[in-house]
Amino acid sequence: MIRHLRATAVGARLLAGFGAASPALAQKQGSILKVYHRDSPASMSILEEATISTVFPMMGVFNNLVVYDQHVKQNSLQSILPDLATSWESSEDGTQLSFKLREGVKWHDGRPFTAKDVACTWELLLGKAPEKLRTNPRKIWYHNVESVTSNGDSEAVFHLKRPQPELIALLASGYSPVYPCHISPRDMRTHPVGTGPFKFSEFKPNERITVTRNADYWKTGRPYLDGIEYTIIPNRSTALLAFEAGKFDLTFPDEVTIPLMKEVKSQAPEAICEVRPTNVSTNVLVDRDKPPFDNPDIRRALALAIDHKSFIDILAEGQGDIGGAMLPPPAGVLGMPPEVLQTVVGYSVDVEKNRGEARTIMGKLGYGPEKRLNIKVSTRNIATYRDPAVILIDQLKEIYIDGELDTIETANWFSKIARKDYQLGLNVTGSAVDDPDQQFYENYACGSERNYTGYCNPELQQLFDRQSLEADQQKRKALVWEIDKKLQEDVARPIISHNRGGTCWQPQLKGLTLMVNSIFNGNRFEDLWLDR
Amino acid sequence: MSSIDYRAELARAGANVEGRWSAIRFFARRYPLGAVGAMIMAVFLFAAFFAPLITVYDPLTTNSALSLARPSAAHWLGCDFMGRDVYSRIVYGARISLAVGCGSMSLGVSIGVLIGLLSGYLGGWIDLAAQRLIDILQSLPLLVMALLMAASLGPSLHNTIIAISIPLIPYSARVVRATTLSLREQPFVESAKAIGMSELRIALRHILPNTLAPLIVLATAQFGSTILTEATLSFLGLGIPEPHPSWGRMLSESAAEYVRTAPWLVIFPGLAISFVVFGTNLLGDALRDILDPRQRS
Amino acid sequence: MGSYLVRRFGLMLLTLFGISVIIFLMLRLAPGNIADILFDAAGFVDPAEKAKIMEDLGLDKPLPVQYAQWIGGLLQGDLGYSYVSDRPAIREILPRIPITARVGGLALCFAVLIGVPLGVISAVKQNTRLDYILRVLSLSGLSMPAFWLGLLVLMGFVSYFGTIPIYTDAPQSFWAALGMYSIPAAVVGFRSSALMTRLTRSSMLEVLRQDYIRTARSKGASENVVNYHHALKNAVLPVVTVIGIEAAFLMGGLIVTETVFNIPGVARFLVEAIRWRDYPIVQNLVMYIAIIVVFINFTVDMLYAALDPRIKYSG
Repeated sequence: MIRHLRATAVGARLLAGFGAASPALAQKQGSILKVYHRDSPASMSILEEATISTVFPMMGVFNNLVVYDQHVKQNSLQSILPDLATSWESSEDGTQLSFKLREGVKWHDGRPFTAKDVACTWELLLGKAPEKLRTNPRKIWYHNVESVTSNGDSEAVFHLKRPQPELIALLASGYSPVYPCHISPRDMRTHPVGTGPFKFSEFKPNERITVTRNADYWKTGRPYLDGIEYTIIPNRSTALLAFEAGKFDLTFPDEVTIPLMKEVKSQAPEAICEVRPTNVSTNVLVDRDKPPFDNPDIRRALALAIDHKSFIDILAEGQGDIGGAMLPPPAGVLGMPPEVLQTVVGYSVDVEKNRGEARTIMGKLGYGPEKRLNIKVSTRNIATYRDPAVILIDQLKEIYIDGELDTIETANWFSKIARKDYQLGLNVTGSAVDDPDQQFYENYACGSERNYTGYCNPELQQLFDRQSLEADQQKRKALVWEIDKKLQEDVARPIISHNRGGTCWQPQLKGLTLMVNSIFNGNRFEDLWLDR
Repeated sequence: MSSIDYRAELARAGANVEGRWSAIRFFARRYPLGAVGAMIMAVFLFAAFFAPLITVYDPLTTNSALSLARPSAAHWLGCDFMGRDVYSRIVYGARISLAVGCGSMSLGVSIGVLIGLLSGYLGGWIDLAAQRLIDILQSLPLLVMALLMAASLGPSLHNTIIAISIPLIPYSARVVRATTLSLREQPFVESAKAIGMSELRIALRHILPNTLAPLIVLATAQFGSTILTEATLSFLGLGIPEPHPSWGRMLSESAAEYVRTAPWLVIFPGLAISFVVFGTNLLGDALRDILDPRQRS
Repeated sequence: MGSYLVRRFGLMLLTLFGISVIIFLMLRLAPGNIADILFDAAGFVDPAEKAKIMEDLGLDKPLPVQYAQWIGGLLQGDLGYSYVSDRPAIREILPRIPITARVGGLALCFAVLIGVPLGVISAVKQNTRLDYILRVLSLSGLSMPAFWLGLLVLMGFVSYFGTIPIYTDAPQSFWAALGMYSIPAAVVGFRSSALMTRLTRSSMLEVLRQDYIRTARSKGASENVVNYHHALKNAVLPVVTVIGIEAAFLMGGLIVTETVFNIPGVARFLVEAIRWRDYPIVQNLVMYIAIIVVFINFTVDMLYAALDPRIKYSG
C-alpha cells in the first residue's frame, strides 16, 4: 500500500511542479509539429494493434488511468503518474484495485467521461463486451483480471484473481488507453475518439495522419502544439533526406540506424540525435521437440556458438546490449547485470573458448569438419530479421552446423511458427513494458500465444508467479535473475542481443524525452513545443 | 531458330568471310556497337561461369570488422552492411542474373512464338482461343502481372523465373502473329502453297525466319527487361530471397538505407545491371541488323 | 467494319471475364491471408479470432460464391470494403487515381515528344555519329533500373539544391505542382522515351527498306518527302501499338517511382495492397487496370484496321 501512496504523492508533487515551472520556461504555444512516419498502420485503434506505428501517433489522442511520467527516462513503478485516475488503492487482500477518476473530463465528441468507459474498455480487452475487438494482442496482460466494474461515475474497480502488485505497470503503458463506451470498436479503427491532448483529425493510408489540439483538454494550458502531422514515408533514405532538408522536426522514433545517424549529423549538424535501448531483442526460436534440437547437448552447443558482441558490432556498430530475457541495466530495471551474466552458459567473454566447448560437444555427437549438421534457419523477409539470420548462419559454421536461410513472407510467418514448421527461427521480440510480468508470461509461460516454441517448465512457471506476487523489489530482482539465468541455460529462446535505435530532431523541438526501456510509453506529446 | 546459317547471313550483309576470325573482324568493323555489346556479354558470361576463379572472398561470409567498408585494395568495391565483399557478390550475382535472364526470356519467348505462329498461321478457332489467352495475359502491365504471379507463387529463384516469364508471352506472341498475319497474304507464301508445300513447312521455312528480326530485337530487350524486372521485384520485396547475392536485392537493400553513407552499395550493383542490360541490347541491335533478311542491299 | 467492331467488343468482354477469373484465383492461391497479417503485429494468431475475421470478411465461403459476390457487386458499382482500413474500397482507390494519372500522363507526353522525333532522326541519319550517340543514349536509358535512376535523381537534387520536392496534396502554386509531378514523371518518362526512340528507329528503318519506298525514291521523290511522308506514315503503325502498350507499361515505372519519391498514388497502393492481401483493393484495382489496357488494345486494333490496308478483316 505504501508504494501506491508514494506513487500518488510523486504525481501530486510533479503536477504542482508543472504549474510553477510553466511560465519560467516560456513554452511557446502554437505551430504544427511535422514528423515522418515509417509505414501505414493497419488501423488507428491502439487496442487492436501491437505496433509502434499506431501507438506513436495515437497515444496523444487518449489518456490512460495512469501513465509513465513523460519526462523520466526510465519507466519504473516510481515514475507512474495519475492520468484519468487521480489516485488508486489496493484492497487489504490485494485482489481489488480501485481507481478514483478525474471529474469533468470530456471525450472529444463532447460526451462526459465516466467510470463506465473504464469498465467498457476492459470488457473489450477481456473479451466480455458484446462487440469484439478484431484482434486482441494483449489479452495475456490481463490474464489475472477477473473483471472491471464501475462504482458510480467516478470510481472504477479491477477485480483480480490473485494479488498482482505490478498490474499498474501495464496500465501505465501507451498500450493501455481508455476507450469510450459509446463508440464501437470498428469506428475506433478509422476515427478514434479519446480524451487526450490531441483530437484525431485524419488518417489517409500511405499518406498521412493528422491530429489537432484539443482545446478542451482537462490539463489546462496543454498541449502546446496546435497539432501534429505525420507524413508516411516508408523509404528511410527518402524520409531522412527530407528531414535533413528541414521538412520535418522529428524522425520516426528509433528508425535512424547508426550509419544513417552519422549521415544526418554531417548533413544537418544542428540536428540532435539520440540512441536509446528499445527493449526489442533479437532472439532464436528453437524447435525443441524435433531433431536435431530436441537434444539438449546440441541446444547447449548452439548457445555456446553465439558471439553476441559480433552481432551488435555488425548490426549496429557496437550500439546494443547483451543480456538475458530482461533488458539489462542500466536501462533495464530488473535485467541481469554483467557480473551475473558472465556466469551464464554462452555469455562468457571468451568466445573462442565457448566455441571450443561447443565443438567438443558436437564432436562427441559425431559431427566434425567433414560431417556437418545441415539445418534450416527460417526468418521473415525483413532486414531486421534477415540480417541477423545471415550472421547466425555464418557463426554456426564454426561448430560444424551448415544453415540454409529460409525467408518467409510476413503473410505466412506466424502460421508457420504456429505449426512449428522450422528448426531454428530468427525472431525479434519487442516489449512494451520493462516488467517481468509482461516478459515472462508473454514469451515463456506455458500456453501463452506468443510463446512460439511451446517452452513449458512447470518449475519456472511457479517462479513466475512468485516474482509477480513479490512486493519487495530487491527480493523480486533476485528471483527475476534466477529465472532469467535458467531460461538462458535451458536455451528456451537464446537472446542474441538487445537492440538500440536512433531518433533525431531539429533543435527547435523542445520538451522531448526518449524513454530508455520502452518505445511505447512516451508518446503523449502534450508538453512538446516548437521554438519558432 | 537453330536453322540460321550465320555465315550465309553475314555474306548477305556484305561480308567476304572465309575463316571464323575474319567473320569476327568483319563484325567488329561493321558493327562497333555490337562488338562492344558482345564484349560486355563475354565478360558477363565469364564472370558467371568462372566466379570462384576471379574472386578471393566468399560472397556469403560476414565480417563485423568490414561492415560498410569503403572500396580499398583488398575489397575493390567495398563491403556491405554485413561485411560481405561487394565485388564477390556482384560476380556471383551474375549467375543469378544469367539464370533469371535466360530462364525467363527463353521460357516466355518460346511459349509466345508457339502461340503466335499457331494463332497467326492456322487462324480459325485456334487463333480465337490463343488470342483470348494472349489478350488476358496482355491485359495487365508486365510488372503488375509479375507482382501478382510472384505474390501467389511465393519467393524463390524458380518462382521468380516463372513469374517474370508469363507476362512476356504475349509480346512475342503478338509480334509473331502480326508478322505472320501480314506474311500469310504475301505472294511468296501463296506460291509456296501453290507448289504444294505442307502447311508446317511453310510456317517453319517461310514464316518463322521472317519473324526472327523483330523477335531478336524483342528477345534481347526482354533479356534485359527480365533482369530489370527481377531487380524491381526485389526492390519491392517480392523477388529472389537471401542468401542469393542477386543484384536486385543488393540494390534494394542498400537503396533504402545507405544511399549516401555507402554509395558504393548503390552504385555498383546498379551499374552491373545497367551494364549487362546495355550489353545485351547493343549485341541484339547488331544481330538484328545482320539477321534481318530484308536488309539485303 | 461495323460487324467487326461489334465482334471485337464481344471478345473484349470475354477477355475481361477471363482476367477477372485469373486475378481472383491468383490472389486466393497466394499463401497467407489478411487475417494472418492483421495478427502480424500482435505476434500470434488466435484461431477463434481468425475464424471470426474470416467470417466477417466472407472469406469462409466457397470460392465460386466469393467470386460471384465480387463480380455481382462490381457490376452494380459496389467494390466492397477494404479489409485493412474498413472503408469502402472505392473511397480508397478513387482519390489516388488522379495523382498517378498526372505523373503517368506527363511521363507519356515526355516519352512521345522526345522519343518519336529522336527515333526518326536516328533512322534517317542511320550510321552517322548522331545515330550512334542517340542509339547509345536510348539503350542506356533502357538499361537502367527505373528506381535506380529515381534514386540517382533524388540524390542529385539533394546534393545540388539541398532539398527535394516532397509530395503534398495542396501545392502552393501551379509551378510548385508542376515541379512536384514532373521530376518523377521525367524519371518514368526517360525510360519510355528511350524505348520509343528505339522502336521508332527500327520501325522507320524497316519501312525505308521496303520496295515502295525504293520505288518512290527511284521515281525521283525528294529525300524529305520520302522520309517524312511515305516512310513515317507507315512506320507510325507499330509505334502506335507501342504507345498503347507503353501507356499501361508505364505502370511498372510508376510503382517504383512513386515508392522512391513517396507519391501516394494508386500504383504504389497496389503493391501495398498485394502485400496486405487486401483482396477487395487488389482485385478491383487490377481489374480497373485490365479494363484500361483492354480498351487501349481494342482502340489500337481499330486503328490498325483503319491504317493498314494490307490487313484484311473478315467477319
